[in-house]
Amino acid sequence: MDDNSKKGIFAPYSYSDPSMNVPVTAGPAGRIISPYMNFDPSYLQTGGESQFIYPEGANKNRGRFEKSFSQIGGAIIAGGALGGLFGLKTAFNDKTLKNQAFRIQKTMILNYVTKRGASTAQSFGVIALMYSLFGVGLWFVRNYQEDELNTFVAAGATGLLYKSSAGWKKCLRGGGVGLGLALAYYLYMYRENAFKM
Amino acid sequence: MEEYSRDPCPYRIIDDCGGAFSMGAIGGSLFHGIKGFKSAPKGFSRKLYGSLSGIKERAPIVGGNFAVWGGVFSTIDCSLVYMRKKEDPWNSIISGAATGAILSIRNGYAAMVGSAVMAKQFMMEEPPPSAQAPPSTDSLFGSKLYQ
Repeated sequence: MDDNSKKGIFAPYSYSDPSMNVPVTAGPAGRIISPYMNFDPSYLQTGGESQFIYPEGANKNRGRFEKSFSQIGGAIIAGGALGGLFGLKTAFNDKTLKNQAFRIQKTMILNYVTKRGASTAQSFGVIALMYSLFGVGLWFVRNYQEDELNTFVAAGATGLLYKSSAGWKKCLRGGGVGLGLALAYYLYMYRENAFKM
Repeated sequence: MEEYSRDPCPYRIIDDCGGAFSMGAIGGSLFHGIKGFKSAPKGFSRKLYGSLSGIKERAPIVGGNFAVWGGVFSTIDCSLVYMRKKEDPWNSIISGAATGAILSIRNGYAAMVGSAVMAKQFMMEEPPPSAQAPPSTDSLFGSKLYQ
């Protein structure tokens, strides 16, 4: 599911990144600069997948666990920004603030933004943490197998657990929302090959 | 090995923020679960309910505080790497002290100095993996990541 070839906020490096595409051969200028660089570039396997030297014992791709902290952190920061915006909107809609002194207005706006931002960031972080725990757990239980099933089951279970103390109906609805979000994400990210199956 | 598995600098902020949140939320769940269980009224189901509500209300707050700590720490750490053009234990010590000071800025100068010293001591006692790693191989590959 987590394809490393796709560039994004959680996978900032990939071979599709043009800034990583540094030519290995010397090029036309190399002939002039150094005779040692003047060799047949077909000896080097260029094109196709890029080649890296991996440190001993390291995996070629980052797995779910290695990515989970970045995902949680991204969720927290996104939640904080979103919650801050919501808080700002609430502050602008607060009509009692209009006639107050500037200091009071400032404090109230800060309170709205920081409290709403913090609580939204916390909920986002908790959801991301649950999803990561379920995802890593599934990956571990299924003998280090990584595919879409992990994502869907983890997302559904996250929704169920997050709303588990709010009653049966809300719990099931939470699970449905989680599963729906995972499906939407999958259809969006893999829209090329999602309908080919 | 540790050097390779960490994200490079600007992305490390997000990574540390998430790692600190996970640590705080899981640790806070344990702590507030036990605390809620102990401080609830008599009866096993009441105690379980106290434990659950303690986790639900308090654990995200602990996680959030940790996340702010980790995020500010990592931001200052990366800024120091960028400014000083080197990575050594002083970066973590300085950013630990600065983070402690910044986060207690509303409590007055005495609290700021106190948290700064505490954070500095903590960072000096347990330097991050980058501080224990052998000299970097940057010159070998001619890395100019931070210049």
